[in-house]
Amino acid sequence: MVKHSIEEKLSDYIDALNNEQESEVLQTNNDRELAKLMATARLVRTLREPAMPEEGYPRRLAQAVAGKIQKEKQDSPRQPVKSPPKSIKRILTPVAAVAAGLLMLVFLNWLGLFNQDVVYAMDKAVARLSSYHGILEMRTENAKGEEWLVRRVEIWSEDDKYAIKNDDGTLTINNGQQKWQVSHEKKEVALLPLLPDPARSNFDLRDEAKGAKHYPHIIAGSELIAGRKTTKLVISPPGGMEYYLWVDTETNLPVQLQTAMQNALQTTYTFVALELNTEIDPQIFAYQVPDGYQIVENNPGQLVTTIEEAAAISGLTPLLPKQAPARILAFQDRIVLDYGDTTIMETFSEGDFELSAGASLGIAAGGPLEVRQERLRWRQNGIEIQVEGAQRMELAGQIAADLTIPNAGQNLVSKAQVKVSVDREIVEADQKQVDRGSSPWQLDPLQVSLTFVNLKVTPEGIQGEPEIPMSSFKLAMNNSAEAVVEVADGPIRRVYLKRLVRQDETGIWSVTGYDPR
Amino acid sequence: MIAADEYEKAKEGDRKAIEKLCLATWESLYRFIYYKVQNREEAEDITQETYVKTLNSLQRNKAPRENFLGFLKTVSLNVIRDRWRQKKRGGILVNFQEIMPEETAGRDQQDDLAQRLMLESALAGLSREQQTILDLRIIKGYSVAETAKLVGKTEGAVRIGQYRALQTLAKILDEQDLKDRCY
Repeated sequence: MVKHSIEEKLSDYIDALNNEQESEVLQTNNDRELAKLMATARLVRTLREPAMPEEGYPRRLAQAVAGKIQKEKQDSPRQPVKSPPKSIKRILTPVAAVAAGLLMLVFLNWLGLFNQDVVYAMDKAVARLSSYHGILEMRTENAKGEEWLVRRVEIWSEDDKYAIKNDDGTLTINNGQQKWQVSHEKKEVALLPLLPDPARSNFDLRDEAKGAKHYPHIIAGSELIAGRKTTKLVISPPGGMEYYLWVDTETNLPVQLQTAMQNALQTTYTFVALELNTEIDPQIFAYQVPDGYQIVENNPGQLVTTIEEAAAISGLTPLLPKQAPARILAFQDRIVLDYGDTTIMETFSEGDFELSAGASLGIAAGGPLEVRQERLRWRQNGIEIQVEGAQRMELAGQIAADLTIPNAGQNLVSKAQVKVSVDREIVEADQKQVDRGSSPWQLDPLQVSLTFVNLKVTPEGIQGEPEIPMSSFKLAMNNSAEAVVEVADGPIRRVYLKRLVRQDETGIWSVTGYDPR
Repeated sequence: MIAADEYEKAKEGDRKAIEKLCLATWESLYRFIYYKVQNREEAEDITQETYVKTLNSLQRNKAPRENFLGFLKTVSLNVIRDRWRQKKRGGILVNFQEIMPEETAGRDQQDDLAQRLMLESALAGLSREQQTILDLRIIKGYSVAETAKLVGKTEGAVRIGQYRALQTLAKILDEQDLKDRCY
């Protein structure tokens, strides 16, 4: 019989823990030292994020618990039954159960129709909305169920104008012509660029209605929010996490939004007060500097009427789509074209074109095109162009005729000459680590390739600077699900990678194959 | 927040009320249990058993509503201990008690943090190489072969390395424990 050393037994135990096997599979045979070291290993493992149950577990758990409690009550003759049985299972005969199933189908169908009605009505209500004044609260809750108020802002909105007043009294105003911020504490008025405009509130009535319309959604019930009767919608953006939207049944406008639990935090935005289509004092949107306040110019740019004016101010000759912009903004070093839901920003190309980590790679003007969420970026005729927003494809295509975005369905990695096996569990554990903010390099296919190739060159480990430097690695293809990296030196010519857990910008890359040189 | 009448409904076996209770508390409870058993399947089973036992207890009006989650955690420790005793009778020894004293049941977030800090400071007492091996093997979950490749050592050296690292860590933790008791 092979006698294992304590080092081997301990190692097997760590493997069992890592493989989520039952912790008692290994015996200690009353070896106190081994038992103590196992306990220490378990203690170290508490620093690791727990392996969470599969999706749907909470509901399955609740059902199983309810089932057991009901069964125990039924089995216990001493237990007085205070209320009639509520379980459908206990009331229905098998035939009736089939009928109930059919009824449920009809009900679900009806929900589907009704569901469309809620979103359709919301879309209509938003289209009719010309102005609103409300108080928006942002509350965050952690995984332990503790909740706190993050921010409370007052919002005035009319057409494309808005004013937002923060807790500290700071007022940010955009009147469509100018954007500025008044700080009473610093006694200053800061002039800000009109576009792009990330200062809009996180929960905008119009944007949320648009999101609900475009994404798959279901009705999760009705609830009373800030004293109003609402319908709760569960919205599932493709590739993203589910979030909730509560729509006022009377006004058909969204009044509350709750994000998915991310990094053990969940934020809820609620309009605790909301006046619709109300008359807003025009003075709110009027640019005025209070007496004694200092003006701070933060390169605010200026609105111009023609492209020629913009070219004269910025010094660059912009590349233009056929469609004319609604507004043109000129800065000393850039031009911004505003198309309402989409903006185009053009600047001089400087240095090398470097892709942001996590972006996909397409083609534009014969060169690389960076695709990241709702943003496209490429270079053409010495100008760097960035198009962001809903009409990005159409407008970018009018500037660069060869615009090609990566096709996520395209199989890039099957061509690898040598396949690399990947342990799914380790990848999932790594993904969780990255989700918690550690090892972000795993989100970058170039960094993952650099580590992989250098470990092939120096299997004893990377000491100091890697032998094959980062400058030898170049992203050849990336369709956001699969990527190919070319390597200029060393034993490997090409590395093939896949996003195995999630195929969006938060998904880590794993090497699945390579071509030897 | 769980309304008082939800407890009443839950103990009568009302599916919706039970669902509300479970949905509001399962994650914190599951995490607590997972930290103890370090195994998903076991943690899922124990979570379920804990709710059943707690709701039975609610029927006898024994569960405190003010700190329902704390009560769930205490029940879960008893479930874990019962399981351990059953396994021990079957000839298998797993010493859960060493890492889960009774008082952990009432531990709040601050205590969790204190334990984490204590553990991190104990880990800082290890050599850089020992820290890397424990990080790769236990926290990141790499195999011996992968860890060996990453640190440039043989598999045998990794096994010995992790054994010595855990030995040293256990010693530091014992000393810390002694120190804590002295002051």
